[in-house]
Amino acid sequence: MKRTLFFASLLATVLLTGCPKGKVSDTVSGDGGGSLTIALMPKSKGNAYFIACHKGAEEAGKQIGAKLLWGGPTEPDPAKQNEIVETWITRGVDVIAAAVENKEGISTALRKARKKGIKVVTWDSDAEPDARDFLVNQATPEGIGSTLMDEAAKVLGNKGEYAIITASLTAANMNEWQKNIAARNAEKYPDLKMVALRPCDDLKDKAFSETTAILNANPNVKLIMAICSPAVPGAAEAVKQSGRTDVKVVGLGLPNENKRYVHEGITPAVILWNTADLGYTTVLAAAAVAKGELKPGVTTFKAGRLGDLEVKGDNIILGKPFVFTKDNIDQFDF
Amino acid sequence: MKKHLREIAVAGALVLLLLVLAFAAPAFFKPQQLISVLTAAAPVLLAACGVALVIIARQIDISIGSLFAWCSVLAGLAAARGWPMPLVALVAIVAGAFLGAINGGLIAGLGLPSIVVTLATMVTWREAMRWWREGEFVRDLPTTFQWFGMSQTGGQWLLLIIAALVFLVLVFALKHLAGGRFVYAVGSDAEAARLAGISPRIVTFLLFVLMGALTGLGALLGAIRFADVDPKTGEGLELQAIAAAVVGGVAISGGRGKLWGVLAGVMLLACIAPALVFLHIQPQWERAIQGAIILAAVAADRWSGGK
Amino acid sequence: MTTTETSTSQPGSKETDKKRVPAFLRQFSTILLLVIAIEITIFSNTASHFNTTGNFLEIIRLSVEVGLLALVMTPVILTGGIDLSVGSLLGLCAILFGKLWRDGHLPVWLAAICTLLIGATGGGLNALLVTRLRLPPLIVTLGSFSLFRGLAEAVTRGVDNFTGFPDSFLFLGQGYFLGTIPAQLPVFALVAVGVWLLVHRTVYGRAFRAIGFSPEGARFAGIPVERRLALAYILTGSVCGLASLIYVAHVGQAKADAGTGYELLAITAVVLGGASIFGGVGDVHGTLLGLAVLAILRNGLILSDLPAELAGILTGVLLLAVLVGEAVLKKLFVHRSRRLNTQVAPLNPLNPPA
Repeated sequence: MKRTLFFASLLATVLLTGCPKGKVSDTVSGDGGGSLTIALMPKSKGNAYFIACHKGAEEAGKQIGAKLLWGGPTEPDPAKQNEIVETWITRGVDVIAAAVENKEGISTALRKARKKGIKVVTWDSDAEPDARDFLVNQATPEGIGSTLMDEAAKVLGNKGEYAIITASLTAANMNEWQKNIAARNAEKYPDLKMVALRPCDDLKDKAFSETTAILNANPNVKLIMAICSPAVPGAAEAVKQSGRTDVKVVGLGLPNENKRYVHEGITPAVILWNTADLGYTTVLAAAAVAKGELKPGVTTFKAGRLGDLEVKGDNIILGKPFVFTKDNIDQFDF
Repeated sequence: MKKHLREIAVAGALVLLLLVLAFAAPAFFKPQQLISVLTAAAPVLLAACGVALVIIARQIDISIGSLFAWCSVLAGLAAARGWPMPLVALVAIVAGAFLGAINGGLIAGLGLPSIVVTLATMVTWREAMRWWREGEFVRDLPTTFQWFGMSQTGGQWLLLIIAALVFLVLVFALKHLAGGRFVYAVGSDAEAARLAGISPRIVTFLLFVLMGALTGLGALLGAIRFADVDPKTGEGLELQAIAAAVVGGVAISGGRGKLWGVLAGVMLLACIAPALVFLHIQPQWERAIQGAIILAAVAADRWSGGK
Repeated sequence: MTTTETSTSQPGSKETDKKRVPAFLRQFSTILLLVIAIEITIFSNTASHFNTTGNFLEIIRLSVEVGLLALVMTPVILTGGIDLSVGSLLGLCAILFGKLWRDGHLPVWLAAICTLLIGATGGGLNALLVTRLRLPPLIVTLGSFSLFRGLAEAVTRGVDNFTGFPDSFLFLGQGYFLGTIPAQLPVFALVAVGVWLLVHRTVYGRAFRAIGFSPEGARFAGIPVERRLALAYILTGSVCGLASLIYVAHVGQAKADAGTGYELLAITAVVLGGASIFGGVGDVHGTLLGLAVLAILRNGLILSDLPAELAGILTGVLLLAVLVGEAVLKKLFVHRSRRLNTQVAPLNPLNPPA
């Protein structure tokens, strides 16, 4: 009896303290006063690639006076992005800008957001087209795959063997890029053969050991194509420690992590794009979509200090993938 | 002979694997590849020995990976600040011992269950590291960092010698020092040990501190192989270390296990990933094979009549 | 109120017993309710739209998958065991479900039933190794944790993922009854009630507790220990299958890495709920409260625009705080135990503690 009374009074306290109060937080969608809430989601936090994107995004946010949310999953489970999106729907934001980890999975949540009147743009990697208004495209998977393959061919000449180091076998964007690399390979370089594909679980140290094993097991491999950013310096270090001066590395990585190896001649090309500009453009585009200024059918988009960007259909194109070489890599700091 | 059945069995499995490789892919035995496997396994060995001791004492520690990451990053930051290498090494070991003491204090001091405490510390430390570094490497390390400033070959040998020495000291201590006996005693029956005058609490606490220090040393040895530190390093280390210990004959129920078995376990599991590369087996089988080995090792244990 | 000197109490003294056991039990659930109350109060002030029925329903909806795993983990932990493989089994069931439907061309409902059976089989493997070979559950499920995930990756070659499920199926994870009640809620409620009844009202539940308290003692008491343990693990496996169905319906796709990390969340919820990891102590409503604490925390943090890492850190700290609090309370209200890591058993008036 005492126990029931105790629980009951506690429950009552919970309900009373939980009385709906006027929410203290400032912005809500549609509130006049002009301050937008833009919810920006990287693929996952704890990934250095997104640090620079975040900086660019914050710059844009300050410029237009919007409130920026930066939220992403820290766990690897593919459903975690969905959970955050669905909670943002409850919170009420004006626009969601997501770098998509799982195309089909997150499209479910994004479509729901759109139904509730929240605008959606994607950046870095796309969701399903009907789940978002626009894609801020720094480079298409085709562009990335082709550039990687072309740089590889530059190194190998038109005949030879290479290996690919990827992040994990399940990562959606990695698989997209691999498909395009293979397509480009088949189309233009029939004498180049990929002999091994190994995951490194997004760990530099593992990329190192996998590369060492590949080099020792396949002595004819003359190029390592590292398509996830920790793998580029990891593979390069492995090549360096193996003493094999005939092996080179190309990959998708951050300039700061690779400057050393680029200058030492191990990594002739690092492919990326200006990630800060990506974040910057995404926020501006998101704001424009939310305000209704960016509508389907336009062909250019004025992206603040970047000037006019081309819009192809529903893709805002930042440009082509950028190739960092020893001539230009020192100009960048991210 | 029967006493060492388990260690011999695992060593046997390892030899079998090596024989297969000798036939199908002899390139595995190139000195460069072997050294690569050994230097990668050295940090795991130290962590596995540490966790083996903890398991023998009937506890467990699943926070090893997060601990490893913290020690690596702190060591890297110290080096980046220009601290001399001996001091950097001290930072790694002391940081490990400190974090281990947190675990030990909660487990031995308050009697909390080790699996839950180390689950909590694992998550807390890992998320804190993620929040802090956001995945950014520790870069711009002085040249004295990689391979302790020595040549690559020199550094590799130094690494292996350090690991081997520490391992042998542990084996000796466990077998011949009273402290070693205490570990087994506490693991077999804590109450009996207490009645015999051993303090299970102190032994347990010190074991967690030792484990932390060993992992810290392992983190240092792992980090000096490179010229920068990835804050995500050590992910999955707890699984590797515990699996190696268990495969090597350390019983989860406590009181049993030999470090030589742990060595065999570490080497066996360390060879799987490169073996797959050399045998041209699809990489997605790696995890399934690991799981199968763990289950097979433990089941075989039962069949041979062990506890 | 209650004395700490229990050694002076007479065995069988009803009054001190009633004061000891109920006070302790009452205190633990109370602590959880208190934590929930604090969370709600704080988040009501910092988080937007936190205090709405819609949000509370969403909180439940988003925690159903982990919640199912936590519910069914409770009997396992009660027996003194553990199951680290539930997340991996969820992933394996998810992709096999996708494969049966897409490549096996089975109708969705049939594929779903097969998935439940597959889950049960996975649980059966754990059960076999634990009961027949008498292997410690920690190690068995550590192995199956790798094995199941590995099989999922091998079957899909890591790459394959299954999508495009019919809307009627997706309703299970995304639909709402009457526009407000999430479709997975009745399923979760049913399972919650079912597990609660199993643990608290049937002989099986009693058996679980007895086994956790002392397997040998339970055996001497005539309990078929192996059968009961098998039940616990097989049940866990089938509910993994069910959770995988809801997961796939919710997210709209089935991938090999589904459910990664769920086992730790489930265990955290159960332990937070007051169960002893050594077995013998714990209840299903505790698990539900533990789940609530975690789910509200995550939801509130996101709605307050705080980083996700904080959720992880706070979860760890909370878990430790609860454990420490529990240990401190035990010391205050129950005779001090001198054995290291021995849980203090539910008190039996016939056997005063050592």
